[in-house]
Parts: sequence; structure tokens; C-alpha cells
Amino acid sequence: MSSSSSSTERVALRAQVLSRHLHPSSSSSSSPCLLEPRACLEYSPAELSESIDFDAKAMRKLMDDHNLEDRDWLYGLIIQSNLFNPRDRGGKVFVGPDYNQSKEQQRVMTMKRIEYLAECGVFKGYLTDFSPPSQLRRFALQEVSDSFDHSLSIKIGVHFFLWGGALQFFGTKRHHDKWLSDTENYRVKGCFAMTELGHGSNVRGIETITTYDSDTGEFIVNTPCESAQKYWIGGAANHATHTVVFSQLKINGTNQGVHAFIVPIRDADGNVCPNIRIADCGHKIGLNGVDNGRIWFDNVRIPRENLLNSVADVSADGQYLSAIKDPDQRFAAFMAPLTSGRVILASSATYSAKIGLSIAIRYALTRRAFSLTSNGPEVLLLDYPTHQRRLLPLLAKTYAMSFAANHLKKLYVKRTPESIKTIHVVSSAFKPTLTWHNMRTLQECREAVGGQGLKTENRVGHLKSEYDVQSTFEGDNNVLMQQVSKALLGEYVSAKKKNRPFNGLGLEHMNKPCPLIPSQLTSSILRSIQFQMNIFQLRERDLLNRFAAEVAQHQAQGVSREITFTLTYSLAEDLGKAFADLSIMQIFIEAEEAVPAGHLKNVLGLVRSLYAIILLEEDAAFLRYGYLSTDNAAAVRKEVAKLCVELRPHALALVSSFGIPDAFLSPLAFNWIEANAWPSVEN
Amino acid sequence: MSQTEQVLEETCGSVRIYTLNRTKQLNALSFAMISRLLELFHACDHDPSVKLIIMKGNGRAFCAGGDVAAVVRDISKGDWKLGANYFRKEFTLNYLMATYSKPQVSFLNGIVMGGGAGASIHGRFRIATENSVFAMPETALGLFPDVGASYYLSRLRGFFGEYVGLTGARLDGAEMLACGLATHFVPSKKLSLLEEELRKVDSFDATIISSIISQFSQYPSLKANSAYNRLHIIDKCFSRKTVEEIISVLESKAVEHKDEWITSTVQTLKKASPTSLKISLRSIREGRLEGVGECLVREYRMVCCVMKGEVSRDFFEGCRALLLDKDKNPNWQPSRLECVTDEMVDRHFSKVDDIDWEDLKLPPRSNLPVHAIAKL
Repeated sequence: MSSSSSSTERVALRAQVLSRHLHPSSSSSSSPCLLEPRACLEYSPAELSESIDFDAKAMRKLMDDHNLEDRDWLYGLIIQSNLFNPRDRGGKVFVGPDYNQSKEQQRVMTMKRIEYLAECGVFKGYLTDFSPPSQLRRFALQEVSDSFDHSLSIKIGVHFFLWGGALQFFGTKRHHDKWLSDTENYRVKGCFAMTELGHGSNVRGIETITTYDSDTGEFIVNTPCESAQKYWIGGAANHATHTVVFSQLKINGTNQGVHAFIVPIRDADGNVCPNIRIADCGHKIGLNGVDNGRIWFDNVRIPRENLLNSVADVSADGQYLSAIKDPDQRFAAFMAPLTSGRVILASSATYSAKIGLSIAIRYALTRRAFSLTSNGPEVLLLDYPTHQRRLLPLLAKTYAMSFAANHLKKLYVKRTPESIKTIHVVSSAFKPTLTWHNMRTLQECREAVGGQGLKTENRVGHLKSEYDVQSTFEGDNNVLMQQVSKALLGEYVSAKKKNRPFNGLGLEHMNKPCPLIPSQLTSSILRSIQFQMNIFQLRERDLLNRFAAEVAQHQAQGVSREITFTLTYSLAEDLGKAFADLSIMQIFIEAEEAVPAGHLKNVLGLVRSLYAIILLEEDAAFLRYGYLSTDNAAAVRKEVAKLCVELRPHALALVSSFGIPDAFLSPLAFNWIEANAWPSVEN
Repeated sequence: MSQTEQVLEETCGSVRIYTLNRTKQLNALSFAMISRLLELFHACDHDPSVKLIIMKGNGRAFCAGGDVAAVVRDISKGDWKLGANYFRKEFTLNYLMATYSKPQVSFLNGIVMGGGAGASIHGRFRIATENSVFAMPETALGLFPDVGASYYLSRLRGFFGEYVGLTGARLDGAEMLACGLATHFVPSKKLSLLEEELRKVDSFDATIISSIISQFSQYPSLKANSAYNRLHIIDKCFSRKTVEEIISVLESKAVEHKDEWITSTVQTLKKASPTSLKISLRSIREGRLEGVGECLVREYRMVCCVMKGEVSRDFFEGCRALLLDKDKNPNWQPSRLECVTDEMVDRHFSKVDDIDWEDLKLPPRSNLPVHAIAKL
């Protein structure tokens, strides 16, 4: 087998490297070595000791997938401007916000950065060109600004994707004509007032109320109680001039459900408009560059035309008009375009994980600890199997999830009325999975770099507090995962009821005979695509059957649908995870199949196997429901360790392929000794 | 003429002095010169008795560039790989200089262009004088700023690197110092005194060498119409995503400002090879995010694509018009920016499709000083 011979070579190479560590004198003949005697630790760059034996540029193309030149351009715009706080550490320049600034200063800087990017033409076409390539460009640029600072991308995202998206998708021509171009060039600064103190994920329960005055042709927006105050509204505290307000619409005493209205909240000089009260949300654990605020509306009057009337309208004489009769359906149709937020979050979470891993792995390739022989040199962190076990499975997952995010973005930009449901389910599964993965990765990376991870300058630790919010906004992760299971159940029930084969959401495997898992798993079986697909499909199939049976049992006893779902949460959770893992696995395999045979493909195969097998080890469901015997679980554990050893030589190449510029990592990833040397204190 | 005469070699204690000596060709680097310099730099790297290298040029140039005419002659014999071989050696030398363990001091007392910049800017100390004329003029020749220029141009302040790389603008000694291409400015009449002092050096400590040079150096003021006084407008225009946008913003500024500098900048860009402009811009943008080694590997892919001449033959046309026929009227193909497709640009950045071709292999390095480690 060619892969085994190349892995033997790699083992031999590692042995050579290790022996060079152990006998440094053997290499001294080839080095000048006449500088100073080497009494102290010296930083030895990973680039000089690690080999990169696949085309890292080709791999980066797989990772970033689209708009590479646009990304590089924006990276460059950021690196070359003093607005992005460039600083020299150990001879290299790093960018990144100064988190020691007050929240007010951070907000000023975020706004200045946005103005600079606007002037450079970054946002050109953001609200006027909705072709798929243009949407992908936006995603790419959003990922890059996110890699600089979460506040930057969130503030841009609120303005363009929430405010701008609401105008575009909920509004009609009159709104487009009036506000879109001013929004694109930031003459109008928008925010998005949906969440209230008392209601978040349950948007339909919000308490803000709007009535219509047919005498004046105006809507009257009101905050009837303290729990109805708008909360966490990004941009509201300092900068926004307009907001889109989500409110119950009461017409002639009938509540027509949640609708969206445009309300100006500040004049051109930044003064808050009459009958509007705004307060700051205060200092946060992260995202302090975003001016989150709270808004109260005291019977604010706005023109009738300010209702975003894509699905429903109110006539001048006060009649409610809508083509969609069912308020639930109306609401769903209304909210569908907001999926883009979830898509961006999922993909931006992978970029944050990439940054964390790039830093932790680069550090582990240059930092040593403890000798294994007396008087021997200390060993590189990443040469310890424990350290490999901590970081490399997360690296494999980040690869898998990058493919997943790329898939989701393409699914979204090519959306059709038929694919809306799939996009909803897949994004509801991927956003939680990818954002949870990011948080877990950052925590492990922070611990893996030790105390250095505590400095905000080194990014890994601080990113945790910046990204924590991702599991909450654009849909609470747990709520979203429940929606996935519900959707799968819906497919199941309708297939059984109509006696039709499964078609959609990747459930087609349910039409085939139940896959069999060999009683003894060998290394080659564990690494085969066939086995990996089989066991993930088995898990989804079995959990869906179990979930359906449990739900049916409750309902047979007369328990309502709603209460049933509150009782069956354990299986629902397992099923949601099974769906996400299997979908990602499938996407990974497709991406791998498209790569021509060669080194890169071989390495990707190792990464895919580690992704599959670490999930088998980590998720108790495989043992709980008997998909793996305890013997097989032991084989799985052994295979994880073997794969880590085999991936170790590729660690640098794999993080380099993430394509995050050095300036966006941190001093810890490079010459951390020089970055901390005394002259750097004096400067 | 034997190769030792093209590079004069002197030893003075711990110091080696290499003088480019092909004065009639303004010290343009012949294949023999590059080969010899490569040998010398390799040897000094491993020779504990060498602590400092001084590079200078005889006559009115430090070095006017690579010997492009010879490369074209070689390729016209039927094998583009002879041309590629030249660049392989040259880029290897550039990498060695960029990651050198000992200080290199270059006396840039005259013309420093193209390959001449590559043989000096990567080194630790670059001394400009009132005679210095720096330029990366490749886009006018159907080539692109190579020799690792995508590394050092991209690291100039703001988007000055894009400006210098795309327009081939000439910089004088004061401008070189201001933008950082030169580390010191020493009036030419003091150079021999400085050299005398440096010849006595017995240390590779950069701070010692720097303080010696500083004794002779000055801070000349920029000329009034210097491009470096126009950084604001350069940033506004040259930060744009595409060459087309850069030109269009420049043109709109020309209407606002009635500035002759803007008009002549636009004219220069319009005279350059459209393909060259596009690959040069992308090269600088990518180079900004890469280490010096990655830059040279990528530039080697690019230069091989140019030598092979399948995507564009502008390099041969440029050499014909500027160096051979000297009609200064190249007929670029494609002749317009919008006709240079993304696919054509992409091919310059991909591996060359040829059975014997391989990526540039950089020599292994060790014991690097901090400033070289930072370039990796």
C-alpha cells in the first residue's frame, strides 16, 4: 500500500528530526555557529524544521473555496492601514483591536474602520447586487473582517444583512428606492430591533405594539411595558439613524401578528428623535466594539408607507391586506431570508477556530517542555502524543466543518423556493454544531498554549469571550437543534403516512437495508469511507426510528404535540447531532472525491478518517445504543492515537492551508521569544 | 571576459567586498555573475572568518537589473527553460540574501533597478546616495516586479508598493530612505571614507555596523514634487481591488485636482502591458500575506509562465520594443485591460504544466538572525 510506505518514510523522517534534537552537535558542522554559545533557548521557526509535502495553496483553495483574491485584497487593506492597530512584535507586524480601550473607544474605532472600508469600495454592491457570485463575495469579505475582529463584522453585518436585508426582503420598491443606496454608502446607518427584554427566540411573543391611525395615515409604535423594551440592538446605542422595529400589528382590535416597520431614531446630527428613549446595554464579555442598545418607543408616529409590506399591507383607510391567510405561514415566509445570518455565523465560527488552531499548533511546533532523557533536549509540545490528541482531532473537525460551511453558503446563494426548507434545516443544524465546535476548540487551544493564552494580544483566549454570543444570536443553538429533529420527524411521518420512499434532507439511506457493522473493526475498516458512512447512517436511522416511536407513544396516550416535544428532548438532541455529523461527513467525502489523486488527497483522507473516528469516540450514543461494541470502542480509541501520529508531520502544512495571514494570528504563533525580549519593552 | 572580472572579489580581514563590474551594461546581472554571487554567498555563509559583506557597483550604476536581453536570446534558441534556469538561480540568490546570517551592506550609488534591487534590498543595510535611482520597471517590459519584489514592495507603507510596482516610478535616494527601501543615506563623496571604516569591522553585530554607517549618514529632505508627499492620494487610488478601478479612481482625481503627477501616472499605466499590470498587482497583494520564500516560489511560477509564452508574449514584445529594436512602441496582446481574463491571470499563479518542470526549491537555512526569521 502506497500510503503505508509513505507513512513509514514519514516515521523515518520524524526519527531523524528527533535524533537531531537529541544530538545537536551532529549538525553543527554545517552551521556557522560562531555567534554566541547556545546557552539559552532559541526560537527555531517551524518553517525551517517542518516539511510541507503537499501543495498548501491548493489546500487553501479547498478551505476558502471562493473569492480568494477578494479575501487577500481585504486582508491587505486591513494590514496596510494604521486604523487597524498594527504593532511590531518580534520583527513581524500584527493587527487586531486594542481590547484595553474602553468600550466607547472601541466603538469609535470600529466605526472608523467601517468608514475606511466603505471608502475603499469593500461594500460596493452589497445592497444592489444579489447575484450568487456577489453574495459569495460578501460572505468571503465578511469572513475576513471577522478574522480581524468580531465587533467589526457584527457591526457591518447588522447594518447590511439585518437592516439592509430587512429593507431588501421585507420591503418593496418604495423602501428600496428610499433607503437602499443611502444604506450601501452609510449615509443611513441602520439597526434591527427584534429582540426584547422578555422575548428572544420566541419572536412571535414580542410585546411591542403598533396600531394605525387612519385619520392621519400613520402607524403608532409603542412599548407598553418594561419587558417590551428592545434589547441588544446592535448599533442603537451610538450610531444608528434608523431601525426596523418588529412589533405586533393591531388593526381594528385584531392582532395580525408580528410585522416590521421603519422608524427613524436619530437625526443627521446624531440627536435621538422625539418620543424615543435609548439606553446602553453596558459593558459586555465581548463585542465591546458594537454599541448594543435598548430602545423604548413612546407612541412614535411613522408614515403608513414605513410598514415593510412584502407579505402584508394596510390600506390608507386602515384595512389589513395579505395574500397569506395563515399568520404562522406569513411569519415563516417573512423570516426566511434571515437565514443568511445563520449561514454567516456558521462559517465565521470556522474561521475563529482556524485562528485558534493556527496559533496553538504553531506554538506547539516551537515550544518545548521537559526532556525524556537525562541531559537531553526538551521535547516539542506537538511531539507529545497527549498534545497531538488534544489538538489534531479539533484540526480534523475544523477541516470537516469548513467544507460544511462552504456547502451551506453555496446552498444558500443558489436557493430556490424548493430548497428553502433544506436550507432552514441544514443551517439550523450547522450553526449550532460549528459555533459549539469553535468554542470548544478555543478553550482547548487556550489551555494548550498555557499562560500565554491569557494575554488578549495572543488572541486564543480572548476570542472565547468574543465568540461566546454565537451560540445565542441568530437562534439559540439548542432551540435550533430541536427544530432539526422536528423537521426530520416530519419527513418520517409523511413518508410513512403516504407510504413513499424518503426523499430529501439526506434521508434516502433510510430506503436501503439497514447497514451492518462488522463485529471486529480493523484499522483499514475504520478508515474506509464505506464503514464511516454506514455507521453514521445507522445512527441517524436508528435514532429517527426511536424518536418517532417515542413521540407516537406519547401521542397515543393523548399527550399534546407541544408537550410531547418537551418530554422527548434526549432523543431529539441525539438525533439532531446525528443529522449534523452525517451531513458534514457526506460533504467532506464529496469534497475529497473532487480532489485529484496525490499527496493532498491522501492527507485529506487521513483528516476525514480522524474526523469520523473522533466522533465515534466522543459521542456516547454509539455505545449507548449499541452501534459500537465495547471492543470496537477500544479499537476506535487506538485508531485515534494512530491517526494523530500520522497527521503530526502535516500539522504545519494543515494550519498554513487555512490561509490566515500571519498578521492576523499573534506573536505567540511566531518568534515569541523576541516578541517578549527586553528591547520590545523599551520600545 | 571571464566571470571573475564581472564580479570583483576582495578580502579585507573579516570583510568581503564584491563589486559588480560590467560597466558597459550598467552592471546588468549576467548568468555568470549570478552563479558566481551564489557561490560566494554560499561559501561566506559557512565561513566563520567572514562577518560582513559589502556589495557595490563600478561605474554609474549599482546594477541596472537582470540581463534580460541574454535571457531572451537564450529562449529564442528554442528552449524557455534556459530562461527559467536563469531566474531559478537569481531567485535562489535573493532568498539567500533575504535570510542571510551575516549583514550585507549595499552601496546604491547609482542605478538600482529590477534584479539590482533584488541583489540589495533583501540585505540588511542599503545605503542610498544623491546618485541613487531606484525602479522596478518590469511592467513596461511585459514582465512583473520579480526578484522577491512582491515581498519588499508589499511591505512599504500603505499602498506605495503597488504604486512603485505598477508604474515603475523612479525613486531618488531621499525617497528610498523615506519609504524604507534604503536604510541609510550617505552623500557619495563620503562613501569611500565609510567603506574604509567598514573594512575594519570584525563583527556581525548589526547595531555596531549600523552605528558606523550612521556616522556618515544624513536625512535629506524630499523634493517638493516627490510621490512620497502624495501618499494620501496614492493610498486612495492604489488600494483599489483591480487595475481598472485604480486607473478609474486616478482619472476621477485628475479631474478634481488638475495635478500633472496624476495625469502622467495614468499615462504610464496605460503604456504598460495590461497583462503585466494585472499579474503584478495580484503578485504584490499575495506577497503581502506571504513569507519571502513563498513569494519567490510564486514569482518563479509566474516567471516560468511568462518565459513559456503561452498565455502572453508581452515579455518578448517588450524586449523587442525597448531593448532590441528600441522603437519604444510595444504592441501588447491583449492590448486592453478588460481583455485580460481572470483565467489568463490565474495561469501565471499555477504550477507550470510541463513534465520536467518543478517548483523553485529553496536552499535549507539555519541559525537565522531575528530579522530574517521574521521574513519566513
